[in-house]
Amino acid sequence: MAEPAISSFDVLVIGGGAAGVAAAAELASAGLSVALAEQRPTLGGAYHRQPVGGSARQLRGQRQWLRLLRGLAGAGVEQRLGHVFIGLESDGIAMLDDRAARRIRSIKARALVIAVGAIERVLPRPGWQLDGVMTSGGLQMLLKETGGVPPGDLLIAGSGPLNVAVAADLIRLGRPPVAVIENGNPFARPGAALRLAAHPGLVAEAARHLARLASARVPWLRGSALAAIERRDGRLRATVRMPGGGSRMFAADIVALHDGIRPNAFGLPAETQAQPIVVRAGDCREALGIRAAVADGRHAARQVAAMLAGTVRDGSADRKIGRQRRAQAILHELFRPVDGYGLAALPDDTILCRCEGRTVGDLRLMLAETDAPGLREIKLNGRFGMGLCQGRFCADAVRDMVAAARPAVDGGASGPLSRDRWPLRPASIAALAADDELQEGK
Amino acid sequence: MGASIGGKTVVVVGAGIVGAATAYFLSRSGFAVRLLDANAPASAASGAADGAVSVASKRPGPMMTAALAGIALYRRLERDGPLGGLFHERPTIMVAEDEHEAETLRGHAEALAGAGKQLRHFEGTALPSYLPSVSAHVRLAVEVGEEGHAIGYEVVRRLIAASGVAVERTTPVLELVKSSSARSIAAVATPRGPIEADHFVIAAGGGSAELLGLSGTVRPRKGQLVVTERAPALNASLPGSLMSCRYLLSKDAILAAGGAAGRRFGLVIDPLRTGQFLIGGTREESGDTSNDLAAVRIMLASAVRLLPGIARLRALRAFAGVRSATSDGLPLVGRVPGYDNLIVATGFEGDGICLGPLMGRTVSRLIAGEDCELDLAPFAPGRFERRSLVA
Repeated sequence: MAEPAISSFDVLVIGGGAAGVAAAAELASAGLSVALAEQRPTLGGAYHRQPVGGSARQLRGQRQWLRLLRGLAGAGVEQRLGHVFIGLESDGIAMLDDRAARRIRSIKARALVIAVGAIERVLPRPGWQLDGVMTSGGLQMLLKETGGVPPGDLLIAGSGPLNVAVAADLIRLGRPPVAVIENGNPFARPGAALRLAAHPGLVAEAARHLARLASARVPWLRGSALAAIERRDGRLRATVRMPGGGSRMFAADIVALHDGIRPNAFGLPAETQAQPIVVRAGDCREALGIRAAVADGRHAARQVAAMLAGTVRDGSADRKIGRQRRAQAILHELFRPVDGYGLAALPDDTILCRCEGRTVGDLRLMLAETDAPGLREIKLNGRFGMGLCQGRFCADAVRDMVAAARPAVDGGASGPLSRDRWPLRPASIAALAADDELQEGK
Repeated sequence: MGASIGGKTVVVVGAGIVGAATAYFLSRSGFAVRLLDANAPASAASGAADGAVSVASKRPGPMMTAALAGIALYRRLERDGPLGGLFHERPTIMVAEDEHEAETLRGHAEALAGAGKQLRHFEGTALPSYLPSVSAHVRLAVEVGEEGHAIGYEVVRRLIAASGVAVERTTPVLELVKSSSARSIAAVATPRGPIEADHFVIAAGGGSAELLGLSGTVRPRKGQLVVTERAPALNASLPGSLMSCRYLLSKDAILAAGGAAGRRFGLVIDPLRTGQFLIGGTREESGDTSNDLAAVRIMLASAVRLLPGIARLRALRAFAGVRSATSDGLPLVGRVPGYDNLIVATGFEGDGICLGPLMGRTVSRLIAGEDCELDLAPFAPGRFERRSLVA
């Protein structure tokens, strides 16, 4: 059987958001050959997500983005758009799923910079698997790509500043949400609010969003929690627990959930200084947001260039990164949930694994057994994290529930539910089986 | 406390399918069992196996005999034992893709028929109506009846639950501690301290080799596998598991090379009850559990050639298991020479799921001093040159 073509580069950057684009440009300008892989048809990532078809209006941040693209343009970076990174196989070859061509592209690189962005946290809730429920981040991508809002009334719930930002976007597009349900109560954390003053950019942004909510009379219900979603009479009915102990019902056609963001190591190869070197950058390394992404991408690029040159670079991070780390810590404190809302309060019939339809009760039964199983046994026998999403939506909640039930479980409940198996995303068998790969790079 | 042959306490090392089955049968016979695992139940080969409970690929001789008994026991444990719902009966369909393979298959089919297996041959126009989704170039298909499939980790879990034994996880055995007479084992040493018993069973797969000083005899042999997304219609089009004849050839090639050879590819496409497919596998002289694109590509390309519709599906994940293989292709089951209370059961290579329950029952009967209904002579642990069994 003919060996498929393998392209070689000094560095493969995975992820065409702000951090990845900044890293690729920096590496190329240092004289290294660089490929930049992006799973979508255009660069941009989450924050700079570009309109599909170019017709939608820009939401924000366009000036910085154009500056980043200009840096990339002259640098000679080879862009691989529509290429999904599906893993680093055991011979050290990075695999990109070229979905349009139905081929797996093999790339041999001396180093990988992984800049695939953060993971949006969404906690399980009764009814979160229903049609019409999406994530706030997903909704925001939809707004950016189409410039429009899907039809019907929208309700936003969960925790974190993104929910407020999405609500403000919706208002700008003429479609205010019925309410924003917030687990935390930033107004009840004066210490943190005071410290936020050191970050006037954030304060201004927050003030702008909140003013928009106020003028559109969108309630921002702090200290409240979305307890359940049901579908009745063709609409979603959300039960919201209020701070005083009572509850309120909201009807909507779309419910957007979001419980913050966190770094993304999901199935990704571990960082290493042995070749192929693996370094993470941007929100997937540490969820610091757009203000740190460019600096972090460049920082990672300089680290990689130094490692490839065999020199040691002083590991001290950029000042900008330290500043955003402090800012994120303050935001985290501001939005810390005040309600006792948590996994322990979920009813048994709450779906935990949406792919395989496994419930919170199924997991509790396993945890109650006398011969209590470890994480991998729970995964295999409980079929948690075994579905099409490969555990993206349930792995955290499963691990947290196991940790809460048995703090000293063997193997450490802090370990991942899934090992770093590839493909990282389900990949076409036709593509994986194809051995007539284009003779590219020759 | 002194070890005694008539005693009722047993330490079983290894909570894979063999150890779990041993614990189950011993508990039922009134023994007090402690089941130890360096990691967790089914954490090695039993949890990364293809799940074939099959005689079809066995060579005539002791393994074919054992596999027949193994299947009979699965059927019984499924019907009135702890494995209800876990053993899924379906035929194995061996296919030949060219004339050379067809010749091999015809010869093998004779041996299977001689062992009493129910066979049906499909050739020419009969083939597409029996296997509508299989590629038209297939020359011959032989359906081997009364075979089945069982998921290793599910069987392990059920057997352990039925045994009532709480597995002692993350408890590796560091060494075997001899008694003062040096004719028996007094205890196993673990990081949590020594554990004494009357009898000791080593069913720790590759770990057994290390404990017993058998590393030259038992070798790791890796197998890579791929699992697909669900495809109920294509899944239902297969009456059983598809096994390419090359699987036999890949086994034979390794034996011809004296138990070690380069990487070999067999092909098994198993329609799982979930609607997914399990595609395997390689035979590689390696003990790691990584997957490489070259191997996955070759496996999937041959799967697509045999079952074209599978090209439309997505692969969910690749994984690998490490079999424990011996140089003559037969397992090590029986008393360890020189010791009167030490039994080993390992080296099943790819047949652990098929033979695990049977071997657990066999070991349990050995300990209880009963007739084990299986000729263990071909599996005698002492049949290889006397390496230091227990250093």
